[in-house]
Amino acid sequence: MPSIYINIALAFTISLVGILTYCSHLISSLLCLEGIILSLFIISTLTASNMHFSLANIIPIALLVFAACEAAVDLALLISISNTYGLDCIHNLSLLQC
Amino acid sequence: MNPLAQLIIYTTVITGTLITMLSSHWFLAWAGLEMNMLAFIPTLIKKTNARSTEAATKYFLAQSTASMILMMAIISNNLLSGHWTTTTTNYTNQFPPLAMTIALTMKLGMAPFHFWVPEVTQGTPLTSGLLLLTWQKLAPISIMYQIHPSINTHILLILSTLSIAVGSWGGLNQTQLRKILGYSSITHTGWMMMTLTYNPTITTLYLITYITLTTTMFLTLNLNSSTTTLTLSNTWNKSTHLMPLMTSTLLSLGGLPPLTGFLPKWVTIQELTMNNNFIIPTIMITMTLLNLYFYMRLIYTISLTLLPTSNNTKMTWQFENTKPTLFIPALITISTLLLPISPLILSIP
Repeated sequence: MPSIYINIALAFTISLVGILTYCSHLISSLLCLEGIILSLFIISTLTASNMHFSLANIIPIALLVFAACEAAVDLALLISISNTYGLDCIHNLSLLQC
Repeated sequence: MNPLAQLIIYTTVITGTLITMLSSHWFLAWAGLEMNMLAFIPTLIKKTNARSTEAATKYFLAQSTASMILMMAIISNNLLSGHWTTTTTNYTNQFPPLAMTIALTMKLGMAPFHFWVPEVTQGTPLTSGLLLLTWQKLAPISIMYQIHPSINTHILLILSTLSIAVGSWGGLNQTQLRKILGYSSITHTGWMMMTLTYNPTITTLYLITYITLTTTMFLTLNLNSSTTTLTLSNTWNKSTHLMPLMTSTLLSLGGLPPLTGFLPKWVTIQELTMNNNFIIPTIMITMTLLNLYFYMRLIYTISLTLLPTSNNTKMTWQFENTKPTLFIPALITISTLLLPISPLILSIP
């Protein structure tokens, strides 16, 4: 396996750790989500090119379509939280805790 | 919600699940899961208040992280084995099935990824919570059914036992009914995934029984609009006929014979012991007793005791209930009386 895949897999892992550990703002985890989508885009493009499987070339583009929809829903929820609390701090999301 | 918007949203939720269940290409299965998740978010925000937004955000974060991990597993599966079909199993490389297991158990709400389930179920209306716990389980379980030969059994047994433990202990200190049903969902998903690598038809049987029982519980709770134990204790006065029926449904959910809920647990334990696995079913049963304990507490407040209230609640004017009760009698019958025909049920697959 060429070492480029290891590089992109490392980018994926770092962004994933970025989603799972967030200190204060919700938007940092959303940013890491977009980082994950970027690394997945690159790795799927490389896979489709290296295997010379032309039918798989649609997969990165369709991935971007779904990622854009997800980011839109993401931001809408973020704005909804900002409307309620004024900031997007994670500490504010404690209404539903037992 | 606007009826046209509701039509589009529910159609997309159903279509997403159907696309996932009927596809053999990995990318289409992932796309169906995404459609399902994105269209489900407005269902969670039907009543716009701060709790709904918080519930929708937590749901979105958990599910989107799981989708991304699943996509990474799909692409690395293609890199390592060269195919895009869901049904060809991958025995040589352990990373893609492991990542898929983690992603799909995150979507189902099994431990240790269960933290969003009680909170999201609590923050949404009862009918949205019903869809959350029943329909949203279909798509991930259908993918896990298709990849079950390549899943590592030990990982799934550990995750399932942890789910049963967490679901049972977590529900002990709750008075909010939706949180109790969320923890019961975690426990039952743990039971479902036990036999996935041994005999996945038992997983399907447990899933169908669980969906029937949870739908019955949610619909009967919706009739009285009761979401806490305190409002549940008014059932004897507001809809007296529901008192014994809710009692028997809760006992069935707890898995007591001679009710229907006993059948999937029985078959699960039988399948595990046939594979020389004796300690794990014992641990499972003893921890599910805690689950039964908090159902018994609900039964106690529904039918066996009268909580100290003012005299107004004991002498309410008996109005006629205007909420639709379309499927409730049939569902209650199915969820309590199906055990005698279990040979027929077990001979279907």
